[in-house]
Amino acid sequence: MSENGGLLSEITVLDLTEGAAGPFATKFFADYGARVIKIERPGRGDPARREGPFGAREDAGALFLYANTGKESVTLDLATNTGRLMLLELVEHADALVESWPTGALEALGLGEAALHQRNPRLIVTSVSAFGRSGPYAGYRATELTAYASGGQQSITGEADREPLMPAGRQGAFQTGMHAFGATLAGLYSVGFLEVGQNIEIATMEALASTLELYLGDYVYFHREILTKRRGNIVSSTIGIFPCADGYAGIHVMPRNFASFAQAMDAAWMTGDEKFKDQRARLINNDEMLAAVYGWAASKTRGEIYALAGEHRTTMAPVLSIGEALSNAHFRERESFRELDGLTYPGPAFRPGEGAWELRPAPRLGEHNVAVYGELLGLAKRDIVRLRAAGVI
Amino acid sequence: MDRLPLYNIRVLDLSRVWAGPYCTRLLGDMGAEVIKIESAGSWDLLRSLSLLPGTDERVYNKSHYFNHYNRNKYGCTLDLSHAKGHELALRLVAQSDVVVENYRADVLERLGLTYDELRAVKPDIILISMPSHGLWGPDAHRIGYGTHIEQLSGLVSVSGYPDGPPQRSAISYGDPVAGATAAAATFAALLYRRATGRGQHVEVAQVEAMLSFAGDLYLEYGMTGAEPPRLANKHRSMAPHGTYRCAGDDSWVAIAVGTDAEFASLCGVIARPELARDDRFADVISRHRNQDELDAIVSEWTATLSHRDATVQLQAAGVAAMAVLTIPELVDDAHLRERGFWEEQTHREAGTWTMDGPAWRFDLTPAHIRLPAPCFAEHNDYVLRDLLGLSAEEIDALEREGVCAREPVPGQDE
Repeated sequence: MSENGGLLSEITVLDLTEGAAGPFATKFFADYGARVIKIERPGRGDPARREGPFGAREDAGALFLYANTGKESVTLDLATNTGRLMLLELVEHADALVESWPTGALEALGLGEAALHQRNPRLIVTSVSAFGRSGPYAGYRATELTAYASGGQQSITGEADREPLMPAGRQGAFQTGMHAFGATLAGLYSVGFLEVGQNIEIATMEALASTLELYLGDYVYFHREILTKRRGNIVSSTIGIFPCADGYAGIHVMPRNFASFAQAMDAAWMTGDEKFKDQRARLINNDEMLAAVYGWAASKTRGEIYALAGEHRTTMAPVLSIGEALSNAHFRERESFRELDGLTYPGPAFRPGEGAWELRPAPRLGEHNVAVYGELLGLAKRDIVRLRAAGVI
Repeated sequence: MDRLPLYNIRVLDLSRVWAGPYCTRLLGDMGAEVIKIESAGSWDLLRSLSLLPGTDERVYNKSHYFNHYNRNKYGCTLDLSHAKGHELALRLVAQSDVVVENYRADVLERLGLTYDELRAVKPDIILISMPSHGLWGPDAHRIGYGTHIEQLSGLVSVSGYPDGPPQRSAISYGDPVAGATAAAATFAALLYRRATGRGQHVEVAQVEAMLSFAGDLYLEYGMTGAEPPRLANKHRSMAPHGTYRCAGDDSWVAIAVGTDAEFASLCGVIARPELARDDRFADVISRHRNQDELDAIVSEWTATLSHRDATVQLQAAGVAAMAVLTIPELVDDAHLRERGFWEEQTHREAGTWTMDGPAWRFDLTPAHIRLPAPCFAEHNDYVLRDLLGLSAEEIDALEREGVCAREPVPGQDE
């Protein structure tokens, strides 16, 4: 069994990422027990520290606190020769290095993949970026919005007559980060029999383009542009978000769910009615079906709709606010949220049967300089003072 | 190439629809031998979403949606509710490393395929369960699709136009979120097994995977005591920040400007250098305060250009900008083409078309589409004869008894 009982406590990750995507990937390593050493620029650190809103801590806002749980922070100026030498020494202690620098920037510092592998041939190097490290967009500047725009999801999200929409939060970055987490683990698994490390690229554009559901398939398979348009909240007469008495409810009724849905609507007769009995009939009588669903939903509260969904085992759910999600009975009983330093965080994204998950606070800038440089590089306190005086850390 | 990361790993895939199959697609892409189990009376409902006329022959093999998310897998039929099907499934489990399922919470128990029952035949088996609401708790009996998962997280309520209703993602967003999370969980469990020799049962409650993707919003709620505002394409501090209409039909460019220097560059590109000195826009705070006015000015410029031209001009000046690529544009995109992202695949019955290749780009073990999605029952012989050692007579008998099948029974999805 591993030292601290975490699922991934055998693993050490060097984290050269900033913002949302890369940190989200390495956050999971840390939460599942890996040692994650976040390398930050002396003085300023990860720019995400300065993104609001802020709570009691002044050194970091919501995004940073969330995406950097459980990590150790060291400062290191990689533009200095001493900083580069120290990084290469750290590489010897690491299993993986995850980076989100601009394309070519680490190479320019002499810290490209070849240099890293020369120092540690078993190292997995994962590059997280908006567009990848090759191709015409490799050097493009990107933000959450512009990266999200590139992957196709935005073009189909929102109303047809208005601008395409980005959803709340950091969905482009977080999808990228989850893929980077999985891919890095896959890379680590491959080291077991390949005996050498390798380089992995995860690009937001490609991660998003992998999850275009039937909207991509319909175009590439039929060469038609029907499902490639934005369709707002109502996808079909029985799929969409419908206004109800106290908010909105999501209804998603596939053909196999229609009988239970009709029962929940107290309209079991529909399953025997020529106009509604099967998918084809409902398509032909779409307007009538849609009006029936609109009318029914408007007469019920979200709570009534969710209760009927449970009773009839059909597929409807309330649109919850953030506050309502936080106080939802199912989530409370499962402890799906956890408290830490006065804030509420999501619990484990997945629950291992063995090997712990643990929520620990995001680090202050350079909080672990003494611990990491002392333990891994054998530096004494006076050495660390010298490095700080020279601006290296 | 023959030793992809999941070289020698076999995955028994009991999952359906999108979340589970997306997980096992990622495992298949990474080299696992994924065996998808269906039966005549209980098959993946995505097979019915062919959008082809029902009169089309063997239409269940031609759903692009099914074929898109089930590549790099084998397909075999076994009726798990039949005693013989159950026994054969356990014999397959004994030869597998991972079992993935996304049934409702109570189904594995009914099928006699709980973790304990699997472990009895394969002590270090890894079981990945991904029920929509988790295996326990007051809502564990509920069924839900990816759209519901997104709605229950609160994410939908804070997405949308500021003056409009909550806005759903176009895709069933909870599915790929849970699928990618479950794939990562599988790799983590495999690494743990290598280190300790022990398998385990991992619970991926789809709703909880989704909560992780909205984590910063819960922290925000705790800090401000209020629902996060619906920002749509706007930003808490950057301006201009949004998607701007370009020349052409439904064509948009996303632009994000943070610093004074970036704004000065933007002003140069749109030939309005005086704006950088204009009191309304000269500093970060004024720009954010007057962003609607600024948006109108930027839109005047973008309206004269294609979204690609706008992107190229702004990027050349160091401004973050990107065309909002439509799906046809994405498929034709020079960048993705140069990176070899799109792969052509030929399916035995559905024909030839273009599909996204693996987004996990490994330089030493590059992954590709090795196998098109399985036709219904396509690999019965491989699984039953080659893996389980059954004779042709035994397989015939199983078919007669309805344990295995060559054709699905239609009717469940009309």
